[in-house]
Amino acid sequence: MQFFTTWLEYFREVSGGLGSAVQLAIISLTLGYPLALFLAILLDHKNRYLRWLTIIFVELGRGIPLLVLLYIFYQGLPQIDVVPSALTAAVIAFTWSTAGYATEIIRASINSVPPGQIEGANSIGLSPRDRFRFVVLPQAARIALPPLMGLAIVMFQLTSLAYVIAISEVMQAAYFLGTKTFDYLPVFVAAAAVYAVITIPAAILVASLEKRISRFAT
Amino acid sequence: MDISTGSYLSAKNITKYFGKSLVLDDVSMDIKSGDVVSIIGPSGAGKSTFLRCMNLLETPTSGEIEIGDFRITIGLGNSEPSTKELAILRRNVGMVFQSFNLFPHLTVLENVSLGQRKVLGRSKEEARAKSLQILERVGLSEKVDVYPGRCSGGQQQRVAIARSLAMDPKVMLFDEPTSALDPEVGAEILAVMRELANDGMTMMVVTHEMSFAREVGDAVYVMVDGRIVEHGEPHKIMSEPTHERTQKFLSAVLGR
Amino acid sequence: MFLIILQGLAWTIAITIVSFSFGAVLGIFIVAGRLSRFALIRAISRIAIELIRNVPPLVWLFIVYFGVAELGPKLSPFAAAIVTFSVIASVYLGEIYRGGYASLPKGQLEAAKSIGLNRANIALRIVIPQVFRTVSPSMVTYAIGLMKDSALASTIGVVEMTFRANQITQTTGQGLTAFTIVGLIYLLISLPLGAWARHVDQRVRERYVVI
Repeated sequence: MQFFTTWLEYFREVSGGLGSAVQLAIISLTLGYPLALFLAILLDHKNRYLRWLTIIFVELGRGIPLLVLLYIFYQGLPQIDVVPSALTAAVIAFTWSTAGYATEIIRASINSVPPGQIEGANSIGLSPRDRFRFVVLPQAARIALPPLMGLAIVMFQLTSLAYVIAISEVMQAAYFLGTKTFDYLPVFVAAAAVYAVITIPAAILVASLEKRISRFAT
Repeated sequence: MDISTGSYLSAKNITKYFGKSLVLDDVSMDIKSGDVVSIIGPSGAGKSTFLRCMNLLETPTSGEIEIGDFRITIGLGNSEPSTKELAILRRNVGMVFQSFNLFPHLTVLENVSLGQRKVLGRSKEEARAKSLQILERVGLSEKVDVYPGRCSGGQQQRVAIARSLAMDPKVMLFDEPTSALDPEVGAEILAVMRELANDGMTMMVVTHEMSFAREVGDAVYVMVDGRIVEHGEPHKIMSEPTHERTQKFLSAVLGR
Repeated sequence: MFLIILQGLAWTIAITIVSFSFGAVLGIFIVAGRLSRFALIRAISRIAIELIRNVPPLVWLFIVYFGVAELGPKLSPFAAAIVTFSVIASVYLGEIYRGGYASLPKGQLEAAKSIGLNRANIALRIVIPQVFRTVSPSMVTYAIGLMKDSALASTIGVVEMTFRANQITQTTGQGLTAFTIVGLIYLLISLPLGAWARHVDQRVRERYVVI
């Protein structure tokens, strides 16, 4: 019983870092998702250089581990005398990574709009811009919503990485508590619980949303 | 710029290659205003491809398309059709698809109004009024605020016809409009098409429904292997086909 | 500098390959549990899977490395990393297997039973080869992700690429150069593999069209 109350104490303290974690996640998603939409559209641009620049940007965001991106901005930039704050570095790294994955999701969603829809839109003479705005985008958005929500949950989990660049979120709180009490196992289990308590209900929500969306489509 | 009335549709020397295969071999067709033309033939003959060239959903490798005084020439030495030219063509040539291609995220009314508002520039009220009128004409007044997903196949196809009609097209193309429907339901659609024809719409119909071709059409074109092998008045073609391939096709289809 | 990073690369690859291998095997048990006839086993599997997936890998890593030390044996960083990533991989690969199995046409099992194959043979000769073909691209994609996740091992002291880059930063201050090189190496490995996975996926779709 004593063990359990102690553990609850740990849980409470570790969840103090939750605010920062959620904050970081929300900022990165708010910046990253619109950026991803923009990039997904750019991927079809007439200008070849623009397309290639976009591809490179997206692949870098996706192909470089988030941890390495964090280090690049926090520990790397000082080499050229740019010293961003931990939060700035974290936001840039997370946004880039988010945009990388989200662009793929959005692009795939745009491509899975049935080609018949494009033809239907063309057959009534809609301009390419109107076609995208009124026919393709609304349908792509519905398709993209569940995976984008899943990505949001993953990004929230990944805020745990921000610990390595001294951002005081959940892992940071846990680590400090651990070094203070030397009670590492329960402390980190508490950290695990903090994440699970948020992501498991979130995942269930996304799953039920997915079901409702699929009922809606023809 | 719009296409003048009293128009006709003329396709000259339409040729199309898909990679190395020749899908359309120098196909030409002339349609007078108010004509209803059926295109029949075995699968893979290029009928749909030809139809889709008429509103440039497919671009022929070479050829000419004329509607009224609007002409588009395609092929070597000519630039690709501009967005403007495509827009003009598609504004005046409507199409009804085998798989309907309705917009699932819009209601029936919105489906029919979208083109009117964004392409023809009609106001919301104008478009709505016209849409309601057309939807009544095709018998769908009660389904106006319903989503296509909740409509039967026959109803969806009628919405598709309404969507096309709402654009006041000079010519309407039908690509196997009843092939995805049960025979009974198909008959409904054919009835709607019959009415359109009686009201004077110029129509080009690719179909397997021989009864429609025989009874409603002003002309029947038989296409085989990318070429028109025969054409003429429906009764003549269907009862006394002269071309051997037509005979073969018709006997298989009509069981004669 | 480059040499130091390359030494780290060896560890990165080691973590990836070993964890993936264990995970691939363990994944079979996971999917077996998930699809078991016994509701209790199914429930336990489901709970375990959800727990493992919903906790960030970094937290699991710390739990295994710091936490297990309290209970008994002190794991080396490498061992802790392997244990952690193997378990995580087994869960994700198990789900991939499950998806592949679900897309197997039911007719296959019926046909196999009707010609009298016993369950072992059905599994070995009919199910596994087909499922394997379907899921290999996803498995390769996961392996790429796993390689990127291996960077986390640097936080508990495994001397792989990211760790080395950190070291270089501390000692020479050339962090940007070091981490950029590391980043590019990850890319140079993951991009071709990713393209290959997509290519294999295409080929599988073309060749083995389901009748």
